[in-house]
Amino acid sequence: MYGKGLIKGLGITFKHFFGKAITEQYPEQMPNLSDMFHGSFALDAEKCIACGICAKTCPNNVIKIASSKGEDKKRRLDDYQMNIGLCLFCGLCVESCPTDAINFTQDFELACFTREDTVLKLYQRTEDESASQSGEVMEG
Amino acid sequence: MERLFLNLGEGIQQWLASLGLGATAVSLIMVAIKVAAILGFVLLNVLYLVYLERKISAYIQQRLGPNRVGPRGLLQTTMDVIKLISKEDIIPQAADRKVFRLAAIVVFIPAVMLYAVIPFGKDMIAIDLNIGVFYFIAVSSTTTIAFLMAGWGSNNKYSLLGGMRTVAQMVSYEIPLVFSILGVIMLTGSLKMSDIIAAQKDVWFIVLQPIAFLIFFIAGTAELNRAPFDLPEGEQELIAGATTEYSGMRWAIFFLAEYSNLVAMSALAVTLFLGGPSGPWAPSWIWFVIKVYIMIYLFMWVRWTFPRIRVDHLMHTNWKFLLPLSLANILVTGIGIKIFEWFS
Repeated sequence: MYGKGLIKGLGITFKHFFGKAITEQYPEQMPNLSDMFHGSFALDAEKCIACGICAKTCPNNVIKIASSKGEDKKRRLDDYQMNIGLCLFCGLCVESCPTDAINFTQDFELACFTREDTVLKLYQRTEDESASQSGEVMEG
Repeated sequence: MERLFLNLGEGIQQWLASLGLGATAVSLIMVAIKVAAILGFVLLNVLYLVYLERKISAYIQQRLGPNRVGPRGLLQTTMDVIKLISKEDIIPQAADRKVFRLAAIVVFIPAVMLYAVIPFGKDMIAIDLNIGVFYFIAVSSTTTIAFLMAGWGSNNKYSLLGGMRTVAQMVSYEIPLVFSILGVIMLTGSLKMSDIIAAQKDVWFIVLQPIAFLIFFIAGTAELNRAPFDLPEGEQELIAGATTEYSGMRWAIFFLAEYSNLVAMSALAVTLFLGGPSGPWAPSWIWFVIKVYIMIYLFMWVRWTFPRIRVDHLMHTNWKFLLPLSLANILVTGIGIKIFEWFS
């Protein structure tokens, strides 16, 4: 019959009209993310040995690490910053970390109002005596 | 309930007369009130038609549609209008400023003028012209000029192409549209809206003239520049057709006229084919609104189902399919009337 396809199409849209929405209602209904999801970053400062491998391996020079010698002559972490605005979430830093200190989180809502806010400050030493020690800044 | 608005009108008239105004002044004020009421009806309808269109398209595409501003997104279009009003009024430097500005006005005037002959309910017709249908067609076809003015005045190749396409399409589809209405006119023998409604007391003309209704619906969709006949503003080819260079409130007026024409065309379809504002139990004006919204839903359903047709197919459908079909419909109707006369 001439125009059968048109009627069939109308039938399908009519069915969909009364059907349920299949889209994910995002802010109310959060997406199911996989364990491997490349979201924001989390640093386990206890594990970090401030070796700087993550900063060296980063293709975009996103990671900035400051370290100093502690009382026990061991290198310790002073400051760990990531400029997320330039990060491409490749995950090389996470992969290369020898102590599994830096990891991805499930947080993907990274929008912010100013450019300064894009810098993720993951660790900052608060004790005053560490500042007097000779520090070393590492950039990739 | 049935005479709610009529009584309201009479009440206002008596109140004005009691103020000691002359008969001419009272009737002038009454006309102004009627125009204001119609404008209010049109603007309120358009505001919520945009919301309805977005909701229907969303449901058809299995989404939810606007649901952020106000309860269930009901204030979305209100906010959109406020945004449009506050936007900068941009006129391109190379544009023909007079024509560019005038086009937005010219497109809106016929869109409102159409409502003069639309019966909103029993005895609720602003002017019951004895050539009501003819008036409607004549006024609605003048919208074409506004689109050409907008296309020409913008001084932009997309606008001009869009404007020319609009003219070609609207002028062509006017013919089957009028011929489909002719079937109804032959049955009633009158161009008066109230006569047409009265003739449908027993049986709606959609039953007697199903093919005419189909042609009217297709040609009406094309007249309204709605998908699948939205070639004049085909986004992929022409950005926005004649309205490419328009922004802010001037663009909103084009949008408003488009939806106001949609309501008017649905109202005409209701009057001609669906028995006008008549029905059991409820007052006639409620039936009018229900029927008009059924027609509008039909237009929207078609819009969100079918893809845009090709530009050469557009003219083929019109000249090789709709026009012969409408002529055949007139012939069959004429023969049918004669046979009916012989037997009765």
